[in-house]
Amino acid sequence: MGFAVFFFIAWLITAIFFAIQKKLSLIENTFIFMLILVISINWSWIIYEGFKFIKITKEPMNYTAFLFFRSVIIPMLLVLQLNLVHQSKTFGSAALITSLSVATLLLLDGLSFYLNITTYKNWHIFYDFLYFAGLHAIAYYLLWLFRKVSYRGVNYS
Amino acid sequence: MILWEAFDKNEIFILILNIIAYGVLFLLPKKFTRDIVLLFLVWGFTIGIFFDFTIGGGLIDFYLLNDSNKYGLNDICYYLAFAPFGYFFVHFYEVFNINRGTFIWYVTVWALVGLGLHWIFILIDIVNPKNGYQLLYSFPVFLITQTMTVLFYQLVKSKHKVLKNAEQPD
Repeated sequence: MGFAVFFFIAWLITAIFFAIQKKLSLIENTFIFMLILVISINWSWIIYEGFKFIKITKEPMNYTAFLFFRSVIIPMLLVLQLNLVHQSKTFGSAALITSLSVATLLLLDGLSFYLNITTYKNWHIFYDFLYFAGLHAIAYYLLWLFRKVSYRGVNYS
Repeated sequence: MILWEAFDKNEIFILILNIIAYGVLFLLPKKFTRDIVLLFLVWGFTIGIFFDFTIGGGLIDFYLLNDSNKYGLNDICYYLAFAPFGYFFVHFYEVFNINRGTFIWYVTVWALVGLGLHWIFILIDIVNPKNGYQLLYSFPVFLITQTMTVLFYQLVKSKHKVLKNAEQPD
């Protein structure tokens, strides 16, 4: 059940990403996706496997659902919301998109407990809220930094 | 997190590998635009981390990295060494003017180079296979990742200016 649900969500977010008008270039989208993936993998390794604050299922298909959440859903949703934020015309709509994105990740966290994919041992959902909010801020500033380093003052002609 | 379990041959090799790889990176002629350099450095780094944390740890757990199950600074240095190789792959792709006819050879040679490096990593206990994992199983991983890199690079090249002295694609 968990595998099918998380696979569908991963597919849906990826499909929405390909369907929308993108404000970031292919290079920028890939760069942000990869760095968020690196952070997501490292965070889950340290929190789940290192400190064991959260227990992951040993059931193979549900474990694969966890891998989809960690390695596809989180980075893909971050890239998707970043494109939508850069399309929004007001600060209010940008804040709303970011809040919805954080809320989606928290809901998926809840779904993960409900489907017995993960179990909190010494953890609280508020810490995940801080992590997801921080991840959004990191994605935003990584893009800003990438554009600053890549394009400022560049004249290759 | 730890720094390392014991500072010995594997940590020394990782340090030397990083010095050589980043040294070569800075010495190579600057062919690409800055965004492409950053992109393929991050590409190499991410692919290393993604595969190691997906098949090398967790439930699958095909190998132990360095001397400990704990995540250490030596592991991070190991992954940092992947970044220049992501760049070297596209650099030499351009140097040798690889095309549809030659990319099969190019990917095969790189996959063999990757296998050779992996063999050295096993020899000096950077990678310690377990749960039935064998060196040759890395060959398909290299073939897949490097074929993906070629396809992705061609896609980027069709949409963006990648070389400093090239025309912008339409």
